[in-house]
Amino acid sequence: MLGRRTLLAGTAALGTAALVHGRSAAAADAVVVGVSGPLTGQMAQYGSQWKASFDLAIEQIKAGGGPAIEYQFEDSQADPRQSVAIAQKFVNDDRIVIEVGDFSSTASMAASPIYQRGKLVQFGQTNSHPDFTKGGDYMWSSSISQAEEQPNLADYAINGLGLKKLAVLHLNTDWGTTAKNLFVKAVQDKGAEVVGTEGFLPGEKDFRSTLVRLRDANPTGFILEAYYADAAVIARQVRDLGLKQPIAAVGSVYSPKLLELGGDAVNGIYTQSNFFPDDPRPEVQAFVKAFQAKYNRAPDGFNATAFDTMILIGALVKQFGATREGIHEGLAKIKDVPSVVYGSMTFDPATRRVAGAKFERLVVKDDKFTLWDGVKPSVG
Amino acid sequence: MLGPWLDYTVNGLIIGNIYALLAVGLALIFGVANLINFAHGSVYTVGAYIGWASITYLHTPLPVTLLLVVAGCALLGIAIERLGLRPLHGRSRIAPLLATIGISLVLDQLVQLLGSPDPRALPSQLPDVRFQIGNGTIGTLDLLIAGIGIGSATLLYVFLRHTKLGWAVRATAQDQDAARQMGVDTDRINLTVFAIASALGGVSGVLVGMYYNSIDPNMSFDATLKGVVAMMIGGLGNVPGAIGGGLLLGLTESYGIALFGSSYRNLFAFALLILILVLAPNGLFRWRRDLPPEPLTGTFIAPSRPVRIPRSVLAGITVAAALLGLAPLPYLLQTLTNGLLTALLALSLTLVAGTVGQVSLGQAALLAIGGYASGLLALDLGWPVDVSVLAAGFITAALGTLVVYPAFRMRGHYVAIATLGIGQIVALVILNWTGLTRGAMGLTAIPPPSIAGVELTSVRSVYWLSLALVVAMALLQTRLLAAHLGRAWRSIREDEVAARSYGVDANRYKALAFAFGGFGAGVGGAVTAHLYSYIDYQTFSAQLSIVALTMVILGGLGNVPGAILGAVVLTGFPELFRAAAEYRMLAYGVVLLLLIRYRPQGLLGTV
Repeated sequence: MLGRRTLLAGTAALGTAALVHGRSAAAADAVVVGVSGPLTGQMAQYGSQWKASFDLAIEQIKAGGGPAIEYQFEDSQADPRQSVAIAQKFVNDDRIVIEVGDFSSTASMAASPIYQRGKLVQFGQTNSHPDFTKGGDYMWSSSISQAEEQPNLADYAINGLGLKKLAVLHLNTDWGTTAKNLFVKAVQDKGAEVVGTEGFLPGEKDFRSTLVRLRDANPTGFILEAYYADAAVIARQVRDLGLKQPIAAVGSVYSPKLLELGGDAVNGIYTQSNFFPDDPRPEVQAFVKAFQAKYNRAPDGFNATAFDTMILIGALVKQFGATREGIHEGLAKIKDVPSVVYGSMTFDPATRRVAGAKFERLVVKDDKFTLWDGVKPSVG
Repeated sequence: MLGPWLDYTVNGLIIGNIYALLAVGLALIFGVANLINFAHGSVYTVGAYIGWASITYLHTPLPVTLLLVVAGCALLGIAIERLGLRPLHGRSRIAPLLATIGISLVLDQLVQLLGSPDPRALPSQLPDVRFQIGNGTIGTLDLLIAGIGIGSATLLYVFLRHTKLGWAVRATAQDQDAARQMGVDTDRINLTVFAIASALGGVSGVLVGMYYNSIDPNMSFDATLKGVVAMMIGGLGNVPGAIGGGLLLGLTESYGIALFGSSYRNLFAFALLILILVLAPNGLFRWRRDLPPEPLTGTFIAPSRPVRIPRSVLAGITVAAALLGLAPLPYLLQTLTNGLLTALLALSLTLVAGTVGQVSLGQAALLAIGGYASGLLALDLGWPVDVSVLAAGFITAALGTLVVYPAFRMRGHYVAIATLGIGQIVALVILNWTGLTRGAMGLTAIPPPSIAGVELTSVRSVYWLSLALVVAMALLQTRLLAAHLGRAWRSIREDEVAARSYGVDANRYKALAFAFGGFGAGVGGAVTAHLYSYIDYQTFSAQLSIVALTMVILGGLGNVPGAILGAVVLTGFPELFRAAAEYRMLAYGVVLLLLIRYRPQGLLGTV
């Protein structure tokens, strides 16, 4: 009985100490970046992908004679209750000059008011929610704007692949809904037709009935606004149902995992990506080579985005100094930062986003992503 | 027009097949242990990963893979029973239920740590011969899943009806103590049942993983949820009924999609659940009331002598907490604010679950209703925030009571499952009622909390606001509990039949409890919404309902200071373990299990 009580009291005391002095030891001269993102929970894989790319970028910055950068990664589980506490922690930790994250809009946008009032830049590298940067002038994002990507995808499907009647499956989240709405609008602008749209919940795995419903609207092609894991499952069921229509998908399906999870069924999927490892651009090749050498696996789009973010921070610190205000003002001024995703990154100070993502048109052929050869699909 | 309907039917049966396999394992365990095993989905996930590991590293053929999965999961089942549940024997009925939630948390985290959070491919090892049915095709795996589902249900049925060990299992299910007096080794029976059910769960995991060629550590929650719904439809603990329940659930979802589109699928699944619970609480396949009646709800709660904290100490803690607001510790204050806002939820839950005995697994829906009500009033109608928060409290009280109304005539486990379903329905309505709630986009730019036009933007002021709300609600609740109303509530918990016969209108008193709790939780959700400025349907998720229940049990069911303590401690918990990064959820699960094991009546005792 005594032992148990002491244990409880001990845990509580330890915890209080951790809460009050919640900072880890860091080298005094390093620049510290606060990262709020999921390391556990449903979205944990994205946090671990960020980490891999951050580590690589920090090594490269240092090797190139840039500033020494460290990051403090706080696990939020993409849960708003935790991201707001992390925000308070970061805002009141003078060593932190910029914050990156969170992953989901639910968690990021709940924390935005705290960063805005604390005058600490919240850099939402994955926050495509159109209202994210409207949270205040301290919210910046390098996420691909869906307003740019969706017309591109529509053009690929309609003019490139010759598909005129499209059925859309979209993730029923802020991201998927935004993507779907922009896509539908782009299709109408181009004079083609969307014959049906169906939303699905994260984690859903059974699409057979949804696909039958879409099939009966007689589409000539399927459009997926989804991430790679869902896209692979959907593609398999499309083929199981004996549907032969071509599938085109948004760039977020681009991942080596799509091929692993989808098998034969993903052969022939058309997609576009702002990051493609076989892209001959030198910045892409340098990144892919370095990533492969360090981790012995191919990077995907999330890796590329996170790598760009840390390189950007290195450039900001170098040009504008390691202060919060320097970085805030620097984001509006900095020009042509080398970027894997954009080629070079420049922010529009009005929208606080980056314009001009490059989209490579791809097709999966013989279990590999390849550049699209311009051939229209035969059935459809 | 038969064409598409044939396809929808086939598709419904295919997914129903999978639900059925999950439900059989759950039904078996419920049949013997009277326990809804919330760890079943986690065992299913572990099974999938054992299969993946044995194929990837040992290159085993399918029969060997399945054998390894059966062996591994049977051992896991034995460990769960022996180490996690048997020590709780003779304790309150809620303790094992919570233990399975804790075990599930620990298993999911272990899988994630060992197997990486990214989904993995699990290629089917069967030759993929496909058969044309209607316009679609089904493969050999579909047939194998159906075969194993129906085969295991039949085998179990025969085993339970016609073997000596089966009789012993059924005797144990009916009355554990009587069976023991008759010389049945009930411990061994429980072990056997957990081993069989877990092996079945593991096999389902590996087959479903192969079916989708995709496994990930998060597949467990959905599996548990759908399995439980399928089991309830078939009848609690009814093994052959579970097959029927699974297929019916699959068909309902499929026809629901056919008629209204895919975003309504789960709405249909949970609506079916509520309908069955209200109209045929013994499941669809039993017309006679031959299940042992649910134990009276009172026995759900561990009787204990609550820790009496002198008023002066409570007043002292309140003053100290208020003074803490002056300290320059924003991170601590933010964490405590989160804890206090959750405490409003915990107070409502400790009232309905602890005092009235209606264990709710959907309580977070009240926060969602409150948050959306206040957010929309402020955004769309331009109401001042203090008025909208107050209005949200009343709206939640009314709406919350109304949506839980179908659960009033139920007891015990049925209430828990019904409220779980109702919570899901509320979230899905929020997601789909785009015209009002803006659907998946959520509410953005919600104005910050304010009182009489003064915006509360500093951490300190929001902390004091939350503290004041919690103290006010706690005082009110304590006052009510000491009055006639409190006695009426407790009488319903102890023995509803006796309470009714003394003229206590049970439904009216339950409604009062939900309304009072709904007001507090609604205000809590509203303040949270204004604090975050952005909410969507995931802000107040089903997991939060389960966390809330653990808070209430940690503090002691029905115990007002206990609920606040539980909320603050458990909200602070993930923050305390922050240094452990990836391992902290694991630590959280382990500590939860230890608490259930060594202090089931909670820190401050049940009231």
